[in-house]
Parts: sequence; C-alpha cells; structure tokens
Amino acid sequence: MSTWTRREDERLLSGRGRYVADIQVPGCLDAAFVRSRVAHGTLRDVDCAAARQVPGVVGAWSAADLHDLPPCAHATADLPDLPPMPHTVLANLSSDEAVAGREWPVLVKDRVRYPGEAVAVVLGEDRYRAEDGAAEVTVRIDPLPAVVTPEAALDDTVRLFEGLSNVALEGSTGQPVDESVWQHAAAVVEGRYRQALLLPTPMECRTLLAVPDGDRLTVWSGHQAPHRLRRELAAALGWPAERIRVVVPDTGGAFGSKSASFPEYVAVAFLAVRLGRPVRWIEDRLESMLVATRGRGQDQRVRLAADADGRLLAYELHIDADVGAYPHIGAGLPMQTAWMATGPYTTPRVHATLRSVLTNTMTTYPYRGPGRAEATMALERSMDTLADRLGIDPAELRRRNLIPPDRFPYETPTGRRYDSGNYAAALDLALESLGYDAWRAEQARRRADPHALPLGIGLSCYVERSGGEPGGLHEFGSLEVGEDGVITARCGAASSGQSHETVLPALVAASLGVDADRVRLVDGDTGEQADGVGSFASRTAQVSGALLSHLSALLADEARDRAAKLWDLPPETVRWSGGTVHGPHDGAPAMDLAALVRATGPLRVDDRFESAMAFPFGTHAAVAEVDPELGTVRVLRLVTVDDCGVVLDPAVVHAQAFGSAVQGLGQALYEGMCFDDDGVPVLTDGLLDYLLPTAAEVPPFVGRDTCTPSPATRLGAKGAGESGCIGTPAAVVNAVADALRPADRDVLQLPLTPERVWRAAR
Amino acid sequence: MKPPVFDYVAPRSVRETVDALGDPGRTAAVIAGGQSLLLEMHLWRRRPDLVVDVNRVAGLDGLGVDGGSLRVGALVRHAAFEAPQAVPGPLGTLFQQAVTNIAHPPIRARGTLVGSLAWAHPASEWCAVALALDADLTLRDSDGARQVPARDYFQGPHRTARRPRELITSVRFPLLSDDTGVAFIEHRRTHFCFATVAVSATLTVRDGVITGSRIGLVNASDRPVRALAAEQSLLGAEIADDLYHRAGRAAAEQDAAPVAEPFADPGYKRQAVAVLVGRALRRAAADQRSRAAGRTEGLR
Repeated sequence: MSTWTRREDERLLSGRGRYVADIQVPGCLDAAFVRSRVAHGTLRDVDCAAARQVPGVVGAWSAADLHDLPPCAHATADLPDLPPMPHTVLANLSSDEAVAGREWPVLVKDRVRYPGEAVAVVLGEDRYRAEDGAAEVTVRIDPLPAVVTPEAALDDTVRLFEGLSNVALEGSTGQPVDESVWQHAAAVVEGRYRQALLLPTPMECRTLLAVPDGDRLTVWSGHQAPHRLRRELAAALGWPAERIRVVVPDTGGAFGSKSASFPEYVAVAFLAVRLGRPVRWIEDRLESMLVATRGRGQDQRVRLAADADGRLLAYELHIDADVGAYPHIGAGLPMQTAWMATGPYTTPRVHATLRSVLTNTMTTYPYRGPGRAEATMALERSMDTLADRLGIDPAELRRRNLIPPDRFPYETPTGRRYDSGNYAAALDLALESLGYDAWRAEQARRRADPHALPLGIGLSCYVERSGGEPGGLHEFGSLEVGEDGVITARCGAASSGQSHETVLPALVAASLGVDADRVRLVDGDTGEQADGVGSFASRTAQVSGALLSHLSALLADEARDRAAKLWDLPPETVRWSGGTVHGPHDGAPAMDLAALVRATGPLRVDDRFESAMAFPFGTHAAVAEVDPELGTVRVLRLVTVDDCGVVLDPAVVHAQAFGSAVQGLGQALYEGMCFDDDGVPVLTDGLLDYLLPTAAEVPPFVGRDTCTPSPATRLGAKGAGESGCIGTPAAVVNAVADALRPADRDVLQLPLTPERVWRAAR
Repeated sequence: MKPPVFDYVAPRSVRETVDALGDPGRTAAVIAGGQSLLLEMHLWRRRPDLVVDVNRVAGLDGLGVDGGSLRVGALVRHAAFEAPQAVPGPLGTLFQQAVTNIAHPPIRARGTLVGSLAWAHPASEWCAVALALDADLTLRDSDGARQVPARDYFQGPHRTARRPRELITSVRFPLLSDDTGVAFIEHRRTHFCFATVAVSATLTVRDGVITGSRIGLVNASDRPVRALAAEQSLLGAEIADDLYHRAGRAAAEQDAAPVAEPFADPGYKRQAVAVLVGRALRRAAADQRSRAAGRTEGLR
C-alpha cells in the first residue's frame, strides 16, 4: 500500500519512550533472584536470614520459608503456597502428557534442573539493595550429573524427573518411506545438523511491574500477549482474570521470548499481592542470558533421495530436540519443524519424526522463525549436498523441484496446506538481484588461481507459516467513534517494536476513507480490550489487520443503518464515502461521522475475527569469501527476496526483513554458547561470550520482494518479519560449504566460527 | 548487575591520589576511563571499598615527546591515537593501527592507554605493544616514584608488578627510527569482541638486511608475549618472503602459550599466531619499503 511516517519515532528517538523500568510507582520494591550456580542438583538448604538483615532489604524468601510470611491484611491475599508454573497448551503445540508430573516451580523446592534456576527471591527498596541482600543468601546444593544435549539425556541414565523419562514428547508427520525408494534412487545424501541453542536477545530484557490496588492487580510488562499473561497469572493466583489488568508499554523487542509467564513473573505478582505493595522485576542482561528462554536446539538427521535428473523422490528428517529442563511450548515446537519439513518442493514422500528431550538447560521457546528456521536449514543444506553429488547447479536443482504456481493450494505430505506461492519467481529474482552468473564466473576464476581466496555462493529457498495454528488464528477488537470524530481502534495485539501504532490506524483510515490522523490505536491493554490473542507468529498484519479491516466495514454499515433511520431512507440507498454518510442523490442529506455520533449516540463496533494460516516464502542468496588460513568468513553480498503477500507498509516490512536477515547472519556465523564441564553455559562476560552481529558485520545487502496475495486472508497479507531468521542462515552456510567443498559437509556446524571453518578448510 | 557498596573520592593531585591509595585499611581501585573496572564491579568480580577517581587530577593528561621517547600520561584516552600524526614517525602508524581495534568509539573516548596497562587483560592491544617496544612505566606511591620496564611488569592475567598503593602516572615508549616498518593486525570474531589473537610487529631494515624486529602477541598466552624466537629467526637475514612464514611458525610453536577459550582452542590459536605474525611482518616490510621510498622522494 504505502509508507507512513512512523508515529513511534519522535517519541522513541528523542528518549521519551516509556518502558516498564521507566514507570515510577511510589513505594515500589525491586526483586532480585538468588540463582543456582549448578545445572543439576539436589537442593539441601537455603538460608535467607542474613539477607533480611541487609539495610534496605524488605524480605527474602525461599520456596521452603514462604509460608513464614506474615499474614497479609488483605482478604484477597490469602493465597495457597507458591503455585507451579502454568503451562500453556497453545494450539496443540504442547500437550498435557508432556507436562504431567513435570511442573515448573516458581522457586526450586527440591531439585535444581537448570543453571540459574531461582532458589530464593529478595525484595529491596531498589535493585542495589535487593542484590546486596541476594548476595547474603546461602544455598547448599548437592550437584548431580548434568545432561545438556539431547544425545546425553536420551538414554535416561540421568533423569531430570524421578520415574519419568527425559523424552517429554514423541511425534511424527508423513508416512514412513519404503526402503526400496532409498535403494533405487540415483542419489541419496545424508546429513547431520546441530541447530545450536540461541538467545533471542531483545534490547530490553524481560520486565514485570505488579501494582496491587484493593482486590485488583495491575501488571505492566514488556509482553507480546497481555491477555495470555493475564490468564496465566490469574490461574497462578487463583483469581478471576477480570481482577487483573495487564498493560504493555513501550517494549524493546521480544522475538518470541516474551509471550508467556515465567517463574519470576509469578513470584513478583504473588509477592506484590501478599505484601500489598508494588513489586517489579527488571531482568538484567546477565540474568537474561542465563535464564531467559532459548531458541532452536535441534539435532537433526536427514536423508534426501533424487533420481538422476535431480527430481526429489523422498526426504526423511529425524529430530532430537533439546527442549530444556521443563516441558513448555518449546516441547511442541519440533512439530512445527516436522510439519514444515516438505519445504517448497514437490517431494512426493516426506517423513519427519521427533523426540523432545529434557536437558539441564533453560527452557526452549519460540525464537523468531521457530520450527521453520530449523526445517529450512536441514532441507536447504541437504539440497546443496545433493546438487554437488549429482553435479547439477544448485539453482537448477531447486528450480526443477519447486512447487509450481498452478498447484496451489498445495497439500504437503507432512500435513500442511500451502495457500499460494510463486516460488520460482522468488528464486529468479534472487538470482538476478545477486548477479548469480557473474559470481559463478568469479568463482571459476578464483578456483583456477591458487592465490585467490575461495568464494562460494549459497542459496536457500524457504516456505514458512504465519498467523498461528488452528485455535489461535483469531483476534478480538473494536472501533469506536467519539463525538469529536476521532476513531479509536482497539485490538488484542501488543507491539514490541513492529510499528502497530503507525500501520494499524493507517489501515483503518484507508479502509474507511478518512485521514490517518483521525484514527488512534489502543493495543496491549487488557483494560481497554477485554479479549485478545496477541502478537506472535508474524500474525499482526495478517490477523489483527484483517480484523480491523473487517471492523471498518462493520462500522460503515452501522453508520449507514443509523443514517437511514435518521433520514427514514432504505438502508441500501445510503452511501458511505470518505467518512461521511450520503443520501441517495445529489442534494440529499450528508453527515460526517462526528455529526452522526452527536445525533445518534455513541458508535462502537466489536467483533472477533477468524483468519487463516498463510505461507510466506522466498529465496535468500549469499556470496561468501573464506580465508582458509584463519577460517574467517566474509559475506560479500546478501540478497533476500521475500513474499509476504500484500504488503501493508513497505518500509516496515523491509526493515523487518533486514533486521531478521542480520539475526540470521548471527545464527550462521556468531551466535552460540559453550558449556563448562559441569553443564553451565559460559556466559560470565555477557555479550562478549555470546556474540551478536554488530553494524560493522552487516554485509552489502539487497532486500527485494515479490507479491503473491494470500487467498486465505482478508487483506491478502501473509506474515512478515521472521524471514531472515528462516532463510538467511542456510544461504550463508551453503556459501561457505560451496567455497570450501569439504569432503564431509557435516563438519560445518553452527555457528561457523573461524576455528570450525579453518578445520573444515584443512 | 549492580555493584556492592563502595566509597568514592575524586582527588585533585597525585599526592592526594597516592595518599588515598595508601590507606592500609582499604581496598582501593583507581578509576580513569572505567571501561573495565565498572563492568567488573557490576559483576562483583572486583569489590573495592574505595574508588579513587583520577579524572580531576592535574598533570596526568600529558602526551608528548621528549628525549627520543613518547610519554603518555595516565589520563590520555585511547581516542587520542586514532590520528597517526598524534605520535611522530612509525610509532604513530603503529599506535593508530592498534587503537582502531580497541572496542568501539564510545569506549575509546573514555578508556585510557595507561588504564589498559593497569588492567593487564591478556587480550589487550596496548599491553603487547608496550612489551614488544620495551616501554617503561612510572609508578608512584606516597614514598616516591619508580620505573618498571614492561618486561618486568606483566605477571599474568590481570596481574602486574604494580602494588595496590601505586598509581601509574605515565608510560614511555621509545620512538621508532625512520628505517622501521610497522604493522598491527588483529583477528577477532566480530568488531565488538576481544581479539582472538593480534600481532604488533616492527621491522628495521638496513641495506636489505633485517637489523631489528619487535613482535608482540596479543592473547597468545595468559599475558602479553614478546615473540623473541620469531624475532631471533629474522635478525641478520636478508629480506625474503619465506622468512615471515618461518617467523610465524616460530612464534606459534616457541613463543605462544595459548589458553583455550570458547570457540578457540590452543591449536587454533597457534595457527592464528603463525598466520598473523607472517602477515604482520609482510605488511611491516611493505611499510618499511614505502617509508624508504618516501625518504628518497624527499631527498630529490
């Protein structure tokens, strides 16, 4: 459509953004958590006595002594013992079976299961004092052997939960591939890929401020799904949800990591209610790195078969997923990888199997592109190995297998129904934007020159899923017109930096034919919007956008109905145009919205709108030069071609594509953590131990798009914003593999550190 | 990530500073740029009960040449060396090449060269430069001053010859002669992080023969390293390309004592030392040639 000036920018760029940590509430206490230094162990003793003597400390509690709290004067604060973490059964992505007997305590009761798990909480008059108190808490833990990879945890010699297997969930999609297919195929390639655990690393870490007021609680949190947070906190506290209001102020990024409640949130809300005082937890970077959710974490084994012409015959993917210490949504995420295993190809037989394995690491959770990034990496790396085996150009191999535009909607062997696509168009545009043939010529020149640095070209064709899963594809909202003619749009979305404030009002204004500055958005507030789903799975444009477009039509209908009654005309003769209702002919009465409201009373339309899944796609291409002596990778060019259907605001979509591509680059080259011998990740120096790409690492970048509208969604829009995390990593890895052509491509595991690349180049 | 309680003083003179540092009842820390100290305090890895802020101390910000050496005062920020003409001759080029590898501009605007020497991180660029060039540190306490040569100063990771009651007031670097070529090359994973390995190299050539070389290794041990075996392999030799390769191998195998780090085991670090020393020497030789050509140009 068009690019609008971002309403958020003036506030955010002039330092007037208001984040949870900026909210001043008199008498607010800061929480600091005492955390386990071991990955796995039996908790013997926690002594908070010394902490309580520290000046400025208001209280300190372990799980064992929380019942020692003086009774709270308030009747509503009569709560049971600390509730276990609520688990979310979101759209079949987790299951009760996985969670049963494996509840996540807010504070460790008897067994520590991941490093940094909270064993006590200290409240102080400010964070300094709370930390001074936390330093005085003594903790005795008898260490147990830690298992930090699926491989180590699978055999159940070390169990995280007595009497229960470490395998929390097993699943599969598609039909097993008959052995004869592999035997008779012209080429079968195999691969083993380790998808490292990643940190989502938003600029603002997690935040929660809980302010009790009588029998009510207001919670401020940088969050993606305030209604879910309200529901989960209410369940934890044993309250009806109506007594809790969750408000999301400015939020500094989320990338999937802020869509549920976490132990710290429950502890803070619980203590705020218990004490009848405002309490906040502002997670700092070191805490975040230690105990915020992880993304990815899959060990993959694949087989891919093709005939002599490179036509794909069968694909088999097995996943052993590291889902962390407690089964949560992350336990179901490998199913997303399985469902998306078919990718953009016409492969007739695809079978994916998985085991979600508990390990002594913080819980795995959605991280930008969850499930789909892993599916793309496994398939696209294998495609390059196959191209190499068959001696077919990697672009040509892909072209021969892409699902053609006339086959949509396309039912995949792994149970997905792709809505629309023109995959070859995206591939062609990527090749053209890259200058594919010229780079191949340069590669040939370098291969003939013993002094030239090796150069490789990597492609990655992807298809992903946006909007959510069945059961979570709806959103709630309303439009309300005031007597001043200002239109207020409300919905269940919550922005963590995606320009909702700009795009959604502009969308309503365009739908109604009024000026954008007449429309304002209220989102991220359960006090303003009773029901809501939230912003995740790239769903806001696709689902909330469709909802607001639908509400705009309802509003116009309602306005015409009222005008018809007012003027005593048949409703079908009243026209709606440019925010004004008109009678049937020239000279007939006309009335703008403000006047209509003044004449007929408050005007508001509310609804729940059901959208559908959509399947964005694209092709990413990278050129990489490798210094084989040092193992350094220099990305000379990165091209992303994405198709998210109808684009609402190109500037916003392109910025998301760029940002996610840089995150994808981080996934390929930099991001990863090492564990010490006791299973504790080495993160003591913060972001010096877990490297993110900086502005200086951003390669020459070209972002383009194609537009294949979705027939399944009201606006034709599909989700945007996760594309780079999904498509870019495999393009970069394939470029490095193409440069080095190692005999065993499996040595190139992520992140491609100089050491790994050097070993691959030897 | 909030520091424990500490006291703070901001003296105006060196005398007041060393008196504060000399208080036997206290654990004091000097803050200049604070780019390392503050982080360490936030992480509770250093817990001084007194922080002595020297930023208002008169006379510590001097940067100048006298008697054939460069004197760098305790308050001279990294950023001062970003222009090669800040320091005369090849030394200025070497400093300029080294300093651009230190973190990023905001850190270089606050952090100080002397602070880096005081902190003595194994991956510090300045520490290896100081060691390789035989820099001389001036340390002062309430009883007076003493000179400590860099070779006696570095004793391990974050361990030096500085006594807790001493303030490093300045450091002297000998200027480099015009027939010396220089190079500083750093290898790191992103522009944000510490060096995996870096190399500071000088090469002095007279009549086509190498008469001197000083090679400093960054993060090739638990402390800065002067690559004496590599230097030795070069002395008296006529300039030739395979020399540099050989010197690189000598540095990797005889001089370096790498410590394993995440994503860089000792074997890889030795490889990086070998490669970087070779490349740095090649670049220093090219620098030396272009300086010689420049002088010839000047004579005409």
